[in-house]
Amino acid sequence: MKILIVDDFSTMRRIIKNLLRDLGFTNTVEADDGTTALPILQAGTIDFLVTDWNMPGMTGIELLRAVRADDKLKSIPVLMVTAEAKRDQIIAAAQAGVNGYVVKPFTAVALKEKIEKIFERIDAAK
Amino acid sequence: MSKKLGSGLGDFESLVKDGAVDLLNHIEVGDFSSAIKVIQELSESRHNSFYKEVGTLTRSLHDAIRDFQVDSMDLVVGEEHAGSGNTKITDASDRLKYVIELTSSAANKTMDMVDGSVPVASELQNQARELRKDWNRLIQRDLSPQEFRELYKRIDVFLKYADDSATTLHSNLNTILLEQGYQDLTGQVITRVNDLIRDVEERLVHLVAVAGRVDSISGMEHDKSEAEHDDTRGHGPAINKQNNPEVLNSQDEVDDLLSSLGF
Repeated sequence: MKILIVDDFSTMRRIIKNLLRDLGFTNTVEADDGTTALPILQAGTIDFLVTDWNMPGMTGIELLRAVRADDKLKSIPVLMVTAEAKRDQIIAAAQAGVNGYVVKPFTAVALKEKIEKIFERIDAAK
Repeated sequence: MSKKLGSGLGDFESLVKDGAVDLLNHIEVGDFSSAIKVIQELSESRHNSFYKEVGTLTRSLHDAIRDFQVDSMDLVVGEEHAGSGNTKITDASDRLKYVIELTSSAANKTMDMVDGSVPVASELQNQARELRKDWNRLIQRDLSPQEFRELYKRIDVFLKYADDSATTLHSNLNTILLEQGYQDLTGQVITRVNDLIRDVEERLVHLVAVAGRVDSISGMEHDKSEAEHDDTRGHGPAINKQNNPEVLNSQDEVDDLLSSLGF
């Protein structure tokens, strides 16, 4: 399981990376916005995407839409971890096909819960 | 200023009223040349009062713009920046950059310490569990003399390791504690920048107020279409969440919303 973490702040990437490691996901790669994330995704080895919303260049919602619009990438589960908490934004993310939405500041428990829920759903759909 | 504007136009209004009465009187008695004279006087005073108002407003606007520039440009901050031509705004921007650097460095240092401590704690736990297994066997008199001698040595090694580990953890925790000092430093910087923003805002409000009066006198209209902030670009962390019904307060509310959408 290879996870791509996209956030413009390196400290947040590190926090998420450490939390994922505690959950047993040790294989992670990082990108600092959608523009740098897309080529990594297109290289085809990423199984799970964790992304922030508010980033310079390409934002997380744009990245999510790009992923869902790409036939090769559209089935990758996407977890949004972001400080954006407007009702309309969460609805927009849901409509764009997000698999989970965690608002910052978040707890290790919340992150774990959402990731597990996403995998449960994927397993149930199989 | 607004008083001046009001009285200027007020004078003109009473002039028009008086003039109208005079005009009617002159017409009623058939004195048309006097009537025309009154019309001319009215026309002149209309010009004059408007010129005066526009003049006053132009001066105020000019002053407001000048104050704004002077205050933001000439207050080059602090001795350390003397001669560099830094404005308060550039200085504020530098200060905020410093906040980002400081918080980032504190966060990284703290995470370094955590990264350094987690394996120590894990190793301590592993060794303790291993020892405890054999210790229980010892309690149940289930150890051979050879195993007992080994356990004896291992306990000695473990005690030394526990001592060293505690020292490492203690020092890491202390470093984490000290790193939190960034809150004080960044708090001070942000307070200063905040003061500046308030100051600039006050001047801007004044400038806008004067410009607004110029608009009302001159009859200028501006395009008021206000661009809605685009959700796609994001808004950053929400402040005053409680006062904004559009913003969800917690992960629970987000979860509720998503489940109402079929998630």
